[in-house]
Amino acid sequence: MSLALAVMILLIVLIIAALAIYLIATIVQLIKINKGLAIVIGSVGEIVQKTAPVNGVVDAINGNLVAGRNLLENLFLKKGGDDCGGLVESLFPGEGQKFLNRVGRRGPVVNTGVVYTRGTVILASLGRGAPIGAAHAKGPAVRDPQYSTTAASMLYPRPGGDPKARPKSPVVGSNSPRQYEASSTPGVRPRQRDGSEAPPPSESTGRVEIRQPEQPAASAPPPADSGGGGEDAGPGRLNVKGKRPWER
Amino acid sequence: MIYLWVMDIILIAALFILGGLLKGVLGAAKSIVPRIDAIAGVAAAASKDLDAVVVLLTTQNYISQIVGSVANYGGSLDVALPDA
Repeated sequence: MSLALAVMILLIVLIIAALAIYLIATIVQLIKINKGLAIVIGSVGEIVQKTAPVNGVVDAINGNLVAGRNLLENLFLKKGGDDCGGLVESLFPGEGQKFLNRVGRRGPVVNTGVVYTRGTVILASLGRGAPIGAAHAKGPAVRDPQYSTTAASMLYPRPGGDPKARPKSPVVGSNSPRQYEASSTPGVRPRQRDGSEAPPPSESTGRVEIRQPEQPAASAPPPADSGGGGEDAGPGRLNVKGKRPWER
Repeated sequence: MIYLWVMDIILIAALFILGGLLKGVLGAAKSIVPRIDAIAGVAAAASKDLDAVVVLLTTQNYISQIVGSVANYGGSLDVALPDA
C-alpha cells in the first residue's frame, strides 16, 4: 500500500467521523427542540381554546355599543339640530366636523362652548329665563363670545344665593329649637283666624260634621245667582262668579 | 501516483469545509433550544393570563344592561326635551 493511498483512507475516515459527530450532536439538539415545541404547542392550544369565544363576545359588545351610540347620536341630532356639530366641537375640539361628516350632515361648525358657556344653552332651552333663550336658537349669538364666562357669571352669580345668607333648613322633631305648646285638643282650632276665641268643641260623636259657613255681613255684597237662577248657593266658598270652586 | 496525492489534498479541503458547515448547523440547533424554552414559558404565562377571558361574558352582560339603561334614558330625554 502506498503512502498516498493510506493518507486518503485516513482522510475519508476522518471525514466520516466528523460527519457522525456533528450530525449526532445536531440530532440531539433537534430532539430537544422537538420536546420544547411539544410543550409550546400545548400552551398555544390552550391559548387558542381560551380565545375562541372572544371574537363573538367582542362582536356582541361592539354591536351593543354601536347601537347605543347610534341611539344617542340620533337623539342628539334630533334635539340639537344644526347646533349638534358645535356642541361636539365644544366638548371635543376638532371633532365637530368629523361628527358632521360621519352622520352625513354638512354645514359650518361653530364652537358653542366659546359662544355660550357650558350649560347656558341647556338652561335656555329649558326656559330657565336666560336672556339668550328667546333668540339664540335661530339668530346669531346675543352674548359676547370673548366674555361669555363673565356674562354667564353675571347671569347666575351664585346658584342658590349666598350660602351664608341662605336660610337653613328648619329643624323638626323633638330636637327642634322652637317648641310649640302641646295641644290639649288635637285637631281643633283654639282660635279663629281673626284671633277671637273659637267656640268650645262639641263632644265628639265619632262622626265628621260639616260646619255651615257664617252668613255674610249686611254690608257685604250679596252673592250672585248661580246658573240655576235663584238656587241656594249652599255651603262652601263662592268665587266671583258666584260658583263653587269646582264648578266652571 | 500524482492523482492519489491530488485526491488527498481535495479530501483535506473537504474535511475542513464539511467540519465548518456542520459546526454551524450544530450551533444554530443549539441556539434554538433556549428560545424554544423561552417561548414555552411565555405561552404558558399567556395561557394563564387568558383565564380572565371568561369575565368578558360578564362584561357583555353589563354592557347590554347599560345600553338598555341608556336607551331608556334617551327615551326619557326624547320626551322631556323639545326637538330642535
